Amino acid sequence: MIVRVLKAALVAGFLAACVAATLQIFLTSPLILQAETYEKAASPEAHGAGHGSLNSPHEHHASPDAGAEDAWEPSEGFSRTAFTVLATLVSGVGYAAILVALIIAAGREIGMQTAVRWAIGGFLAVNLAPAVGLPPELPGMGGGHLAERQIWWVCTVLGTGLGLYLITAVRHHAAVALGLLAIGLPHVIGAPHAAAASSDVPAVLAAQFAARSLAVAFAFWATLGIGLGWYWTRQQDGTTSELLSQAARVTSRRKAV
Amino acid sequence: MSTLIKQQAYVATSSQRLVAVFAAASFGLALVFISGFASPEALHNAAHDWRHSHNFPCH
Repeated sequence: MIVRVLKAALVAGFLAACVAATLQIFLTSPLILQAETYEKAASPEAHGAGHGSLNSPHEHHASPDAGAEDAWEPSEGFSRTAFTVLATLVSGVGYAAILVALIIAAGREIGMQTAVRWAIGGFLAVNLAPAVGLPPELPGMGGGHLAERQIWWVCTVLGTGLGLYLITAVRHHAAVALGLLAIGLPHVIGAPHAAAASSDVPAVLAAQFAARSLAVAFAFWATLGIGLGWYWTRQQDGTTSELLSQAARVTSRRKAV
Repeated sequence: MSTLIKQQAYVATSSQRLVAVFAAASFGLALVFISGFASPEALHNAAHDWRHSHNFPCH
C-alpha cells in the first residue's frame, strides 16, 4: 500500500510539475525578472544579480545564516530556471502525497473523478482562498510580517480545506454552517499586510502576475488530479491482472497434478 | 474466483492504510515545507521564483 501511494504521488507530482514548470517559464518567470529590475532600481544597495530583496531593509528572517552577505543563490539563466523547476517538482510530489493521504484518510476509493475533485479542492484551498487575502506578489512588492503572513496562509489553507470537506462530504446543516465559518473566518480576521504597501512595480505587471499565477496553479492542480487518477487506476489494473494470471497458473498446475 | 482476487487486490488492511496515510502525509508536508517555507537563504534563493509563482508568502 505504502509503495503504491508513494509511486502514485511521484508520478502525479512529476506530471503536475512538468506542466506548471513549462507554463511558469513562459508566463510568470518573465514577469518576476521584469519586476526585479524595478526592485533593484529602488534599492541599489541590495547585492547580487538575483534576488536583491533578500537583503532589503524589510527583510527579517531569523534564520541562522541570515545576514550572511554571500548566501548561495543560483546564477542567472539556466541554473535559476533549473532550481525553479526542481522546487516545482518537490512541491508537486509533496502536494500529491498529501492529497493521496487525505483521500485515503477520508475513506474514498481513488479514481479519476475523485482525484480530480480533490485536486480542484486543493487549488481552492491552497491557491485561491489565500490569494483573496494575500494576492500573489512580485519581488519588490509588499513584504514585511513574513511570519504572520505565513501563519495566516497556513490557517487559511487548513480552514478552507476543512470547510470544503465539511460542506461536500458531511452534508449536515451544522457541518455546512461550520464549514462556511472555517472558510470565512480567516478573511474576517484579515490577512496581515505591510503598513505601507507601496511599490515601484507597475500595477499592470502586478495584476498580470496575480492572474497568471492563479492560472498556472489551476493547471498544476488539474494535472496533479488527472495524473493521480490515471496512475492509481493503472496500478490497480496491473495488480489485478497480475493476480489473475498467477491464479490461472496455479489452477492449471493443479489440473496437471 | 476473479471477484475474490479483485477484492484481495483492492482491499488493504486498515493498519496498512494508516501507515500509508501517515507516511504519505509527513513525506508530503516535509517536501512542501522545504520548497515553500524553509527559511535558510540558500533554500529560499533556490526556490524563490516558484514561491512567488505559487503564492507562498516569500519575503
